[in-house]
Amino acid sequence: MPKALLPIITFVKIDIRRLFRDRLAMFFTFVFPLLFLFVFGGIFGRNSSVSFNVALINHSKTEFAKGFVAQADKDKVLKINKEVTTLSAAEEKMSRGELDAAIVLPADFGEQSTKGYPAGKAEVIYNKNSEQAGQTLASVLQSVFDGINAKYVPVEKPFSVTAKSTAKQGLTQFDYVFAGLLGFSLMGAGIFGPTSVFPKLKERGVLRRYRTTTLKVWQYFVGNAISNVIVGLLSITTMLAVGITVFHLNMRGNWLLLVGVIALSALMLFGIGLAVGGWARNERQAAPLAQIITFPMMFLTGAFFPRFLMPEWLQGITTYLPLTPVIDSARLIITEGRGFVELLPQVGLIAGWCVVVYLIAFRVFRWE
Amino acid sequence: MKQATILEVRDLVKRYDNKAVVDGISFDVKKGEIFGILGPNGAGKTTTLEMLETLRPIDGGSAHLDGVDVSSRSDAIKAMIGVQPQTPSFEEKTKLTELIEFFSAAYGEKVNAMEFLRSVQLEEKANSYPEQLSGGQRQRFSIAAALVHGPKVFFLDEPTTGLDPQARRNLWDLIREVRDRGVTVIMTTHYMDEAELLCDRVAVMDAGKIIALDTPKNLIKALLKKGFKKDQHVEQANLEDVFIDLTGKALRD
Repeated sequence: MPKALLPIITFVKIDIRRLFRDRLAMFFTFVFPLLFLFVFGGIFGRNSSVSFNVALINHSKTEFAKGFVAQADKDKVLKINKEVTTLSAAEEKMSRGELDAAIVLPADFGEQSTKGYPAGKAEVIYNKNSEQAGQTLASVLQSVFDGINAKYVPVEKPFSVTAKSTAKQGLTQFDYVFAGLLGFSLMGAGIFGPTSVFPKLKERGVLRRYRTTTLKVWQYFVGNAISNVIVGLLSITTMLAVGITVFHLNMRGNWLLLVGVIALSALMLFGIGLAVGGWARNERQAAPLAQIITFPMMFLTGAFFPRFLMPEWLQGITTYLPLTPVIDSARLIITEGRGFVELLPQVGLIAGWCVVVYLIAFRVFRWE
Repeated sequence: MKQATILEVRDLVKRYDNKAVVDGISFDVKKGEIFGILGPNGAGKTTTLEMLETLRPIDGGSAHLDGVDVSSRSDAIKAMIGVQPQTPSFEEKTKLTELIEFFSAAYGEKVNAMEFLRSVQLEEKANSYPEQLSGGQRQRFSIAAALVHGPKVFFLDEPTTGLDPQARRNLWDLIREVRDRGVTVIMTTHYMDEAELLCDRVAVMDAGKIIALDTPKNLIKALLKKGFKKDQHVEQANLEDVFIDLTGKALRD
């Protein structure tokens, strides 16, 4: 073994053992990402069905109205709050967001019309803030009435609409969200780890002691990076295991490719942490800088919000943020099963950032 | 007895904001001696040491360690020196054997960690973490860690500050042992009893300059020659002797 590699290998061995002895580090490496997984899995994992919290205020005494109320009560889309019986009570709850809308059946609702069948006009009342819910509810009700109308007045319907999902092989929303969580947790480990550890080691004079030895900065960097990539892969492995067993994650792509992309991503993100933590003299310098770098990435790279919802100019800029290609490539592998050649733009961008951040890290590193 | 010179310092200068913290000092250290740098706080002792350890750039003058220029060949110097900082600190949750392993690997060497721990009486602490050691134990461990690569010169910065009398005496013995193994020791201290007992020669620094340099004995002689008289009341023992008599010499950590 070349002499230059001995410090690196020794460091990696000891550093990983050290992690397994440190409960706090273990928590942030293995448990913390799983907490996120369970929170988001809980939100997106179940079959997402739309429902509305509504008040149903019936001023009519007709049989038809009673029947309608009973029918609405069974409907899954409508969650009827039975405590609310007056419009003013409903309006108060709507203003606080506890109700999406109120359905009001006027006194003449369901009375026989002159044409011989029941008729009436229900009102959907909604707060200005929940305009979307109100509109949707109105059209839901309209389609219910269309069904009823058809029984009394047969009509022909030359045009109609049916909705079909494009998702093949049962792609769930969770599969989509998972890649974001994966990138988020890689970024957390890669940036928050070193930006809190290195300044502490400097303040205690540990790195200063290393500086009196013949240990080189690049050896220390490589040792740290290798150990961080190994730990990152272990952390992501537990996330994948839980994702598959608990949330039925569908992985369509090549496992080896996913492992490779994750390893490269972990290396690059650790480089950012190394640059910040290696530059900072103390935690007061490191913490805010780490926040400034991670905070925008959390929201602008598609970790939690899809980037296609952003204005076009913002999409253009955020394409090049370091975390964006990480999440994109993980998502493309997991949900679409893309191959290496198709991922070249993303992988190239990650590799490019890798070169940039390590060059910066080398330039700004300080032992104390 | 004529000893070879291992360290040659000439007109060494360190400036901070145009103020000379070390102001053109010159001295030689002989092979195999314990050389003390004394002085009040802020005299420039630590800065001098740090320049010789290649941790601070040298602003003026020169230093040669075993013929090697300190300012231009820091890697060669680092391989020749062992360093004990003022407050030794190590990564936590790391066994002592692992730390020894890592420090020797940093010099590209593999050593028997237990042997080094045995030499500083820390064999039974092999699986402990540094944060579990007492102050004296940590100083001893730090010495072992500084000597893993067999350096020619060993620098210690105020090694006994904050230690109890037993631990201090134990550390003095240890430093003598290191010297007896042929390692030159250069240390700073502001304890005069320590310098008098331990150091073969001392340099006294004040305000960045060396104001005296000789063996402790000669320095005392010179002072007496000037007609200096201490209050004549010869003590056969002092409080420290009482303390050691009462509590024994055995290490307490």
